[in-house]
Amino acid sequence: MKNNNSLSVLTNGILKENPVLVLVLGTCPTLATTTTVSGAIGMGLAALVVLLCSNIFISLLRKIIPETMRIPCYIVIIAGFVTVVKMLVQAFFPGLYEVLGVYLDLITVNCIILGRAEMFANKNTVVVSALDGIGMGLGFTLALGAMATVREVFGAASFAGIAIPLLEEYKIEFLTKAPGGLLVYGLLIALVYALTKGCAPVKKSFSCSGCANASTCRMGECANREKEGNN
Amino acid sequence: MKNSIKNLSVFVCICTVMTLLLALTNTVTAPIILENQNASANKALLEVMPDGTGFEAVALEDYTLPATVTEAYRETSGLGYVVKLATAGYGPDMVIMCGVDSSGVVTGAVCLSSNETLSKEKTYGENFINKDAAAIDAVDTIGGATKTTAAYKNAVKDALNTAIILGGGSVDVRTEEQILADNLAAALPQGEGEFEKTFLVEELENIDAVYYAENESGYVFVIGEQYVGALADGTVLTEDVENADAITDAAALIQSTVIEEIDITAYPDLTKTVVSAKKTETGNYIVETKGAGYGIKGGNEYHPASGEYIIVRVSMTADGKIIDCLTVSEAETDGLGDACASESFYGQFVGKTEENYTEIDAISGATMTTDGYKQAIERAFAAVKTLSGGEA
Repeated sequence: MKNNNSLSVLTNGILKENPVLVLVLGTCPTLATTTTVSGAIGMGLAALVVLLCSNIFISLLRKIIPETMRIPCYIVIIAGFVTVVKMLVQAFFPGLYEVLGVYLDLITVNCIILGRAEMFANKNTVVVSALDGIGMGLGFTLALGAMATVREVFGAASFAGIAIPLLEEYKIEFLTKAPGGLLVYGLLIALVYALTKGCAPVKKSFSCSGCANASTCRMGECANREKEGNN
Repeated sequence: MKNSIKNLSVFVCICTVMTLLLALTNTVTAPIILENQNASANKALLEVMPDGTGFEAVALEDYTLPATVTEAYRETSGLGYVVKLATAGYGPDMVIMCGVDSSGVVTGAVCLSSNETLSKEKTYGENFINKDAAAIDAVDTIGGATKTTAAYKNAVKDALNTAIILGGGSVDVRTEEQILADNLAAALPQGEGEFEKTFLVEELENIDAVYYAENESGYVFVIGEQYVGALADGTVLTEDVENADAITDAAALIQSTVIEEIDITAYPDLTKTVVSAKKTETGNYIVETKGAGYGIKGGNEYHPASGEYIIVRVSMTADGKIIDCLTVSEAETDGLGDACASESFYGQFVGKTEENYTEIDAISGATMTTDGYKQAIERAFAAVKTLSGGEA
């Protein structure tokens, strides 16, 4: 990781290793909060702040946190920052707090955040981890924003709550429902795959090394089982 | 062991740091969040009392208030009160917020949440603005939603009563059932509080209803607002009754009525629609007829094809005027069609004739039940015509 170019760490999360559209993480909040652009951007930014803070904190403590206690430590740190963000949003953005509802609390168990803590922050320096947090957070926000734009504009004939009279008669309300969300999600994944073909670490992401839980499960046994299964 | 203690210490340290961070954030945000919440709560209160400047919650336990009241707020400058009420229309949990100024006039009413079938209750509150207690009953009803309208009006009345009580006045907050029970017990103490409504089979002039004591000690006659108690032998107990003799005669008539069973099988046209028929010696008829309703209970459908009917008992003069009406049995949908078993529905048919029996308030959301009930009444008219020798 020492050879990592800082800029590529920052940009990886945006498209090439986009957490939502390439790594397929954080699907639950993605589907739930993308009915409106403002809700999606709000969720993305809230997750970005938590991701940035937790990555920095975990990277700072990576040599102190005991190997066997790291998951409880990560959870405490992430939950702590989520609660901080929640209190700040509730105090300064009450409208957004109402829109995000329970999904704000659920950032705690967002696998993007725990995944980056486990895969990246505990192995890298503070600055690089912070850049990873910003990159992944931006990638999450952009993916949510893109998906919400399609769903709100074509499903509800509005953008960020501003009505688009031209589309009022042609809106496809199906897009604002859960099945419509899945459809848009699938189409965006296909689009990103087409754009990043050959670049995105698709195969790696689904192997042990790309798994957030790889170091907690017995990596070698897992690989052996896979091999035996193929035989 | 040493490692475990070290690991635990690190974990405790991290928890402590996060706790301090949370405490610091809470110190900054808590007052702002509280201010936001108060502003949000005041926004709802201001909707029903637009001139209010501030509100403080009233401790409900210090007062005897109507059962529907869940919260009450006093406007700090003395403008009046805002009352939050939970009532039930056709569905449960209709939550209404109502503002009342210090002179007892409604400043606003909104329905915060409901499960009603028409959703027209959402804007119905606008009709009560600037109305006082005397004008509530005259407010237009919601078309096709009699029960919702009644529940809304009662809630507004409760809010007005609450404002009077909180302002230091006194109001009777008993429910209609409690008031009826108290009036019956006061009129005939010998009844020991156990009364049932009498199904009338004779026309009793000027008497609106009759209740009999279950211990057979006597009757209570309802004449307008007055409750007159009479022992079984006809002795009138209530003082200052204008026409005590008429009460004595009515008691005697109720007790002496001889009812003769009619064999329905002798009338082939009636066997499919009439369950039973009787005739009094004074020439009135009591018929029980079937109506085709429709109900869903526990996932099962109930209708004529499944052998279920609405059974209605009607007493009628030979010339076709309904003396009394009662729902004997029904299998209509809970919360909708089953309203046909309530007196507020079937009581509407009393005094009706074949010409005007359809002029009643339908059961909202239960058209098939209403139609089935009207069918049963229509069949009662037809049966009485046949039984009395007229044309069916």
